[in-house]
Amino acid sequence: MQGTISVRNLVKTFVSKDETVTALDNVTLTTPPNRILTLLGPSGCGKTTLLRCIAGLESPDSGEILIGDEVVWSKEKAISLPPERRGLGMVFQSYAIWPHMTVFGNVAYPLQMRKVPKPEVEKQVKKILSLVQLDGYENRPATNLSGGQQQRVALARALVAEPKVILFDEPLSNLDAKLRESTRKELREFLSELAISAIYVTHDQVEALTISDDIAVMRKGIVVERGTPQDIYLRSNNRFVVDFIGRANFLEATIKSYQSANRCTVTSPLGDIICNAPEGLETGTSVTIYTRPESFTVVPPESSPLDNEFEATVTNILFAGEAHEVEFTIGKATVLAKMEFDVPLNKGDKVRLYIDPEWCRVLRPQVLNPQEEV
Amino acid sequence: MLNQTNRHVPLNALLILIVGALTVGPVLMLVIGSFSEGIGAMGQFTLDKYISAYGNPTLPTTLSNTIIFTLGTALFSTILGALLAYLSVRTDIPLKGLFAFLPIVPMMIPHVLFSSAWITLLNPTNGMFNVMIRNLFGLASGPFNIYSLGGMIFLEGMLDLPVTYLVMAPAMVSFDTKLEEAARVSGASNYHTLRTVTLPVLRPALLATFTLAIIRSLASFAVPRMVGVPGRIYVLTTHIYRMISIGWSPDYGQAAAIGIIVLAVAIVLVYLYRHLISESSQYVTVTGKGFRPTEIKLGRAKYPLFILCLVFFALLVVIPVATLIYMSFLPYTMVPSARAFSMMGLSNWQAVTGNPIILRALKNSAFLAIVGSTIAIGLSLFIAYVIVKVKSKASSFLESLTFLSFSFPGMIIGVGFMWFLVKTPIYATIWGLLVAYVGTYLPYGVRPLRSAFMQIDEELEESARVFGASFLRSLKDIVVPLIAPGVISAWVLTACMFIRELSVSVVLSRPGTEVLTVEIMKLADDGRWGQVAALGLIMAGLSTALVLGANLLSRPLSQSKIKRVKTDTPVNTSALPVP
Repeated sequence: MQGTISVRNLVKTFVSKDETVTALDNVTLTTPPNRILTLLGPSGCGKTTLLRCIAGLESPDSGEILIGDEVVWSKEKAISLPPERRGLGMVFQSYAIWPHMTVFGNVAYPLQMRKVPKPEVEKQVKKILSLVQLDGYENRPATNLSGGQQQRVALARALVAEPKVILFDEPLSNLDAKLRESTRKELREFLSELAISAIYVTHDQVEALTISDDIAVMRKGIVVERGTPQDIYLRSNNRFVVDFIGRANFLEATIKSYQSANRCTVTSPLGDIICNAPEGLETGTSVTIYTRPESFTVVPPESSPLDNEFEATVTNILFAGEAHEVEFTIGKATVLAKMEFDVPLNKGDKVRLYIDPEWCRVLRPQVLNPQEEV
Repeated sequence: MLNQTNRHVPLNALLILIVGALTVGPVLMLVIGSFSEGIGAMGQFTLDKYISAYGNPTLPTTLSNTIIFTLGTALFSTILGALLAYLSVRTDIPLKGLFAFLPIVPMMIPHVLFSSAWITLLNPTNGMFNVMIRNLFGLASGPFNIYSLGGMIFLEGMLDLPVTYLVMAPAMVSFDTKLEEAARVSGASNYHTLRTVTLPVLRPALLATFTLAIIRSLASFAVPRMVGVPGRIYVLTTHIYRMISIGWSPDYGQAAAIGIIVLAVAIVLVYLYRHLISESSQYVTVTGKGFRPTEIKLGRAKYPLFILCLVFFALLVVIPVATLIYMSFLPYTMVPSARAFSMMGLSNWQAVTGNPIILRALKNSAFLAIVGSTIAIGLSLFIAYVIVKVKSKASSFLESLTFLSFSFPGMIIGVGFMWFLVKTPIYATIWGLLVAYVGTYLPYGVRPLRSAFMQIDEELEESARVFGASFLRSLKDIVVPLIAPGVISAWVLTACMFIRELSVSVVLSRPGTEVLTVEIMKLADDGRWGQVAALGLIMAGLSTALVLGANLLSRPLSQSKIKRVKTDTPVNTSALPVP
């Protein structure tokens, strides 16, 4: 299909003097058309290698890569298209703005390589530069730009030839925190407006959650989970993903009973607790449940007790900038919760805590084959 | 911080005085000398020397020779340096580690010896290669003549390789390969990428390399003297040499008059070089966190290129060294044959070691190497410390003063020292040579020490102060142990450079202050190639002994396993005196 990239059974190992690193371990993945797919994972998980294999900057050991319906790399079919014939756009981490050219020279380059006639080149470059709000910068030497401007030149260069898919390799990691936040938002709006197909590599969870339509979390060369940002944050089935993507309280528990297909009661150190759960786990199964720090609320003492409410003692309070991080002891367990400043709490206070079942989830006991999830 | 800076003011002033005397002094005397009637009549103003020097009918030919020689050499060595740097840094050529080391080998080869070896191989009458080829194809003469501009460019180009390689290799290392990848993804082929991205981005570095190679070949003396003079091809340095050495009255005034202009050109070129290097560093866009740079697969070209490189290194190292060893055992030049081998003997070695003048030269060279480099490095240590640790206007003035003499051709600065020393008691003594050596080669001592100091994080020293050490105590406990390995390697570098020094010595060496290289040159003039080879090998042995001795000395230091270096590039450029 137009604008999709399919990767099948891709394997890539790096052999150095003392060790062999499997950067991609039989990865199979199809990107959605006109959407932003993020490859998220810690450094060394293989996300950048996968992106570079797709771009043609790295050669896999085996497997197959398709752009649209065209096979661009295949071990079996002995096909290996060089990067320049894959029709992609790419934004590099360092931007890779050519220092010896002007802004115009940089942005026009992909068009010149495609032998677009000169007047047309000028028209298109002008159009794309105004799209990224760099009108009038055509003749500026590329070395004479701020970080944010370089980033936009890189984006313009990647977009100008209307590539089938545009690849982003940690494009915001060189910007300072404030600029990164605003650029993230801009980029998100910009890409959704253009309805362009993009693969976005990052190790920043917040960036992944805000910018993507779809996230593939990678670890040690394997895609461990795939889903929408909401799926990944709230409904993950993988302990690694839950841990990597934010902070979580993990508790050991056993299944007591199902209330509906996706909701059950478990027995945990907190007491009985109602959670979201994958379907069809048997009563008595040992499981791990997780809650996010944001999922706790303090209940007014006069209200009548409900399900999922627990007597808790404040054991520690930490000021964390935008909120308080509060450590509660419930029975024998300790949980970390995030509390607004307007919740009056002191060390030693005894309060009632409510955990929204929607924000509390049973992890599937073991993910047998993570590839099948995808 | 203020009181610390104040403390250094007298030291800084003293250093400026010493360095100024050593670098500006000879230049000033050169200027005065060029306007004087002669060594004996200094100070009486005259333009005679300029008139006769620039009226010399051989000058135009000399100039055109110089231009062809310097540009040809610079082009040849820049191409060589860039190619080898590219192959060893960016590609998957076999034996990469070796390729990163071999281009630096010519720094250890005395240029006089390298030239001698090739003369015995390629001279038009009985050069061994020529004879072999003639025998093989039944030719009457030729085919090669080393005594030509082509021969000079061939030799000097190879000898300048360390300079060009050491400038190009860091440029290749810091080259952001993402720039090329961006071009590939944008639709450019490998060839287009090379043409539109790689070469343009490297352009300032290539031009800087080319400029530096021009500076070096302009200052070069050994090759023009050994190869050019027999072929009656004079360049500016040998032109000046002819004025002061040939005939019954050496004319130092005319030599100074020509030398001034060469100096001026050299200084302009150094400023051009510095400008280009700073432009080139503006192009460096490497980010801290990089993906492993992709090695360029040479594919089918891999082994042909590899073999080409091997052939080149044979020309550079194996063939000359083998020739010298072979020649040192032969009574006269002979193509290898059963007869040649039967005639081998130790007569050259005996002649050399039985010659009292040569023994004195050996003693003098060893003295200059050991005492001279100790003094040079001692002085460089103070200079480097002030340059790095005291950041003031005076210290940056000291820095420019120090690196000024880098551009000076030794031959010409030797003439300057001649004028400078003639009225002093050390004139025509070994100490006179020593002062001239230290002054001329100061940048080579200061540069590696400056990088050694720069690699010591300020905080290491500061923390010692915080924990109670006095300023001197922190120097002794922290700074000295950390830079000791750097000091030793700088000492070795300088000592070896003093052993193979020719261009200053040839002006200042007198009966009684003979040095090895000048004696080798004289033996070569007499055609005693066997003795040249034997003495050359003794000289190489002396250098090796120094390197080994220093290594033994520094072993306990390196065993302390100090992790002090935060190297930004795998190529050590500190051997180059210019930043």
